[in-house]
Amino acid sequence: MTSSVSITTTTLSASHPLAASELAHACGAQIDWVVQLVEVGIIESRTPAAGPDDWRFHGSDLQCALEARRLERDFGVGLEAAALILDLEHEVRRLKGVLRAQGLGREI
Amino acid sequence: MDFKDYYKTLGLERGASEDEIRKAYRKLARKYHPDVSKEADADQRMREVNEANDVLRDKDKRAAYDQLADHVARGGSPDGGFRPPPNWDEGFEFHRGPNQGPADHADFSEFFSSVFGAAERRGAERRNYRARGEDHHAAIEIALEDALNGAEREITLRSQELDAQGRPEFKTRTLSVKIPPGVHPGQYIRLAGQGMPGHGGEPAGDLYLEVRIAPHKLYRVEDRDLYMSLPITPTEGALGAQVKVPTPGGGVVEVTVPRNARNGLKLRLKERGLPGKPPGHLYLLLEIALPPADTDAARQAYEQLAQAAPFDPRRHLGV
Repeated sequence: MTSSVSITTTTLSASHPLAASELAHACGAQIDWVVQLVEVGIIESRTPAAGPDDWRFHGSDLQCALEARRLERDFGVGLEAAALILDLEHEVRRLKGVLRAQGLGREI
Repeated sequence: MDFKDYYKTLGLERGASEDEIRKAYRKLARKYHPDVSKEADADQRMREVNEANDVLRDKDKRAAYDQLADHVARGGSPDGGFRPPPNWDEGFEFHRGPNQGPADHADFSEFFSSVFGAAERRGAERRNYRARGEDHHAAIEIALEDALNGAEREITLRSQELDAQGRPEFKTRTLSVKIPPGVHPGQYIRLAGQGMPGHGGEPAGDLYLEVRIAPHKLYRVEDRDLYMSLPITPTEGALGAQVKVPTPGGGVVEVTVPRNARNGLKLRLKERGLPGKPPGHLYLLLEIALPPADTDAARQAYEQLAQAAPFDPRRHLGV
């Protein structure tokens, strides 16, 4: 059975950020876990805020949080190690992009 | 639909221990990790490995799967294709625990969703609890032109729901998604209420689409900035020049190459990248290309240049 509907979408950005509870829900986690991510520096609130209730996150934070969740679940790594792995992953992706732009992508 | 041998996917025997499953999964997850793997089909293999792991690491799902595998081994699907027998999962209950992470089953096979999709849902209904539906995650790859100008793209989502008699039923939904101009890689488009249905009257979860931009023949995208290689001749690099450059928006601009420009010099065209607040920039990376010395005149010109401008690019090597 096929049905077609048109729906309104929002793009996560400065004008449509995610609250800590929404970020937690998107990752299948609890707010405590989001607090830990902020503490180890995997994500950061994009607006100055007194506490987790006022934190606001962007798409790149959701991406980092989801990757940290998978590293935790699949490899049993702690969040401090996940933070380092994520930094290295992002650097590898950036460098691969640079190499690809110079026509060297296939050699790595 | 084919029956999936999850043990084979992980390189295991049927009687593998939980520890063996965990070790096999971690080894393969490293092997096919998109950032380190050199295999061409790493993405597809990673999905298969994730799916096998999702079933075999869960005690209940594994027991039900084993029972299904026995049914298949006894010749339960004579027509060659696989169809789960009626009520095969009677007595099993699958559910996602609160700490099982995001519901990212969207990538899994038709076999997985037909076997476990409806059963996971039924498990949640049997337990009679109230909770908002899980958020779903998927990715959408768009052309750079779509990111620049915005576009409307259709995505097809497949899910299983239970009909009035409690039988699983496949539903395909086609959603029309508006891609706003200026969307960049790693951004997420959120579709409210398009995730998993809620439990006990609570609202459905959301669907998050991660934006990916397909490789482009000219431009490389980094956030909102675009990078392009700009080939120039040694003469243009040495003396400076005005060269024409295509911009991603479709126009052509004239760019000044400064005198004595070196290879790899980066020129910035302000706000010519992806639109947004603030807009990205377009960076041109100069690449000096040598004119071929394939005629007498060209060879002579090179020799004259060597005499007129003596230059040793290897002086720092000290030999």
